Amino acid sequence: MVLRNYFYRLKCIVRDRHSMFWTLMFPLLLATMFHMAFLNLSNGLNFSQIKIAIVDIDEYRNNTGFVSAIEAVSNTDENQKSDALFNLKYTTLEEARKLLDDDKIEGYIICDSEIKLTVKETGINETIIKSFLDYYLQTSSTIGTIAGVNPEAVNKGLIETLSDKADYLKEIAYGKSEPDSTVVFFYSLIAMTCFYGSFWGLKEVTALQADLSYEGARLSVAPVHKMKMFISSFLAAFTVELIEVFLLISYLKFILNVSFGGELLYILLACITGTFTGVTYGTFIASVVKGGEGIKIGILIGTSMTMSFLAGLMYEKMTYS
Amino acid sequence: MVIKVKNLVKRYGDLIALDHLSLEVKEGEIFGLLGPNGSGKTTAINCILSLLKYDKGTIEVYGRQMSPDAYDIKRRIGIIMQNVAVFDELTVYENIDYFCGLYVRDKKRRKQLVDEAIEFVGIKDFVKFYPKKLSGGLLRRLNIACGIAHKPDLIILDEPTVAVDPQSRNNILEGIKRLNSEGATILYTSHYMEEVEEICTRIAIMDKGKIIASGTKEELKGMINSGERLTVELFKTDSSIIDGVLNLPNIVSAEFDGNLLIVRSIKGKNNLLKLLDYLKSRDIDVGKVYSEPPTLNDVFLEITGKELRD
Ligand SMILES: Nc1ncnc2c1ncn2[C@@H]1O[C@H](COP(=O)(O)OP(=O)(O)OP(=O)(O)O)[C@@H](O)[C@H]1O
Ligand SMILES: [Mg+2]
Repeated sequence: MVLRNYFYRLKCIVRDRHSMFWTLMFPLLLATMFHMAFLNLSNGLNFSQIKIAIVDIDEYRNNTGFVSAIEAVSNTDENQKSDALFNLKYTTLEEARKLLDDDKIEGYIICDSEIKLTVKETGINETIIKSFLDYYLQTSSTIGTIAGVNPEAVNKGLIETLSDKADYLKEIAYGKSEPDSTVVFFYSLIAMTCFYGSFWGLKEVTALQADLSYEGARLSVAPVHKMKMFISSFLAAFTVELIEVFLLISYLKFILNVSFGGELLYILLACITGTFTGVTYGTFIASVVKGGEGIKIGILIGTSMTMSFLAGLMYEKMTYS
Repeated sequence: MVIKVKNLVKRYGDLIALDHLSLEVKEGEIFGLLGPNGSGKTTAINCILSLLKYDKGTIEVYGRQMSPDAYDIKRRIGIIMQNVAVFDELTVYENIDYFCGLYVRDKKRRKQLVDEAIEFVGIKDFVKFYPKKLSGGLLRRLNIACGIAHKPDLIILDEPTVAVDPQSRNNILEGIKRLNSEGATILYTSHYMEEVEEICTRIAIMDKGKIIASGTKEELKGMINSGERLTVELFKTDSSIIDGVLNLPNIVSAEFDGNLLIVRSIKGKNNLLKLLDYLKSRDIDVGKVYSEPPTLNDVFLEITGKELRD
């Protein structure tokens, strides 16, 4: 009879179109929407190289320190890098002015006795160029100062230490790969879906309890062990929700190509626990809260939304530290 | 004795829903519990079934104290509640099979019982339907099939005909009589006195949580002083007629309803003849004439001073 109840409850749950929508279709839809939003977002975040021009004069060519510094982080006609900060053109002064006027470049650099930057407007790209130049100047003057005071240091790797530009540049270049934070959304989405198991928990307890439904009253007068019925109904709810969660994960992994790293096994384990918790929570609310089913569903939606929010579904920078 | 309830008290806060209720249902009878809305019929049934805790009193079913885990008593009971109790996600067949399966484990036997129940309530053409697709009357029949499929010895029906079309109602009442003739004891509640009068062998009338009278319908009608209700069609209506009629012996009230003269009498001999003699003596022409014996409504009216129906 436990088994019969289990299979009949499976039928009842799977045929409950309304709740099936919320526990299965809704997360899938959210996942799809997130996925599309992130596609756009990461396109937007994609760091596009800043186009600059350098007036090609002898003073610049002689300043080998600066040439190598800026070429290290730039795409030039001869040298293409994927993580370059600048897209660099060598021009004459007139050409540079014209390019800037036509908005073909963000700014141009003249390097004679000192390094001068000309820009047309102020913005994030202009700031980046300026920061780079400031950083270079600061570093080189530090090296100059130290070298003046303590020439030995130059030989002891001072330049390598200070001209640690690679790090500085790498950090910016990170923006180019897909932002890691999106996976947090998908984790929270999975957690939310586990939690939606509470709807099934509520449904099962409602169907069993004499004071919650007429069907429950009918069951309560039958010569059956209530606890056994509860366990098999609970397992039916658990089964369905777990399958729904696994479907969601498969969808994320195989259709949307979300990368969970090598942690899939742990994720599945966490989902089993999460689903169990979700269904249990639903049974808890169903039996403890006084009031109609509407109120209980409201509580379930409210709490799962709050928790999903805290987990990072709405705001991925939510952290606990 | 199938059901024996003694001094049952059930309170909802300050409201006393059952006030020292006592009743006995004997083997093989159709026992009717008749009472207006809110008189406590459902509460009494729920207490008998151990669905509700009660404050005082004893309830015995088949000679044993009823309790939530008295499985061998429960196995002999079938209930049909006031509200339809079926799962919307299961078809007609699956619903009956599910509930029958709570009592009967053997698959072959169960299939036979389910088929019989479907036949019994006449929903053979709808076995693949989901409850939402059934009309109100068919839904009630499904509700009944779910309660009786396991062939219980005691069937408790709580207002099974509320909001049912006349055809389904007759089908249901006939069905109850048939179940009874096949050996089941029936406890039937209703606030329709016609139904109770039609099918019940013994009746208890309830009001405000108390049994105010019980017995066969003849016994009940014998308890009261009201006699028959006389209706006479007249071709002229004149208030002097009322005055004259009220002077006749045994007459309690007389009034016009359109051109019908309605007269209530107390028990006595020749009430109708005396009325007609009086009308003839005044040369009043008379059309149709009816005489109706007192109804359970009259019993209720006389005991409580109010109408059974609201
Ligand atoms: N859960 C409850 N809490 C408080 N009062 C209740 C509750 N259930 C019933 N009552 C009250 O108890 C009284 C008896 O109700 P009950 O449902 O037993 O009447 P009934 O005879 O079955 O009426 P009906 O013909 O309408 O079904 C009513 O006054 C009702 O308001
Ligand atoms: Mg009732």
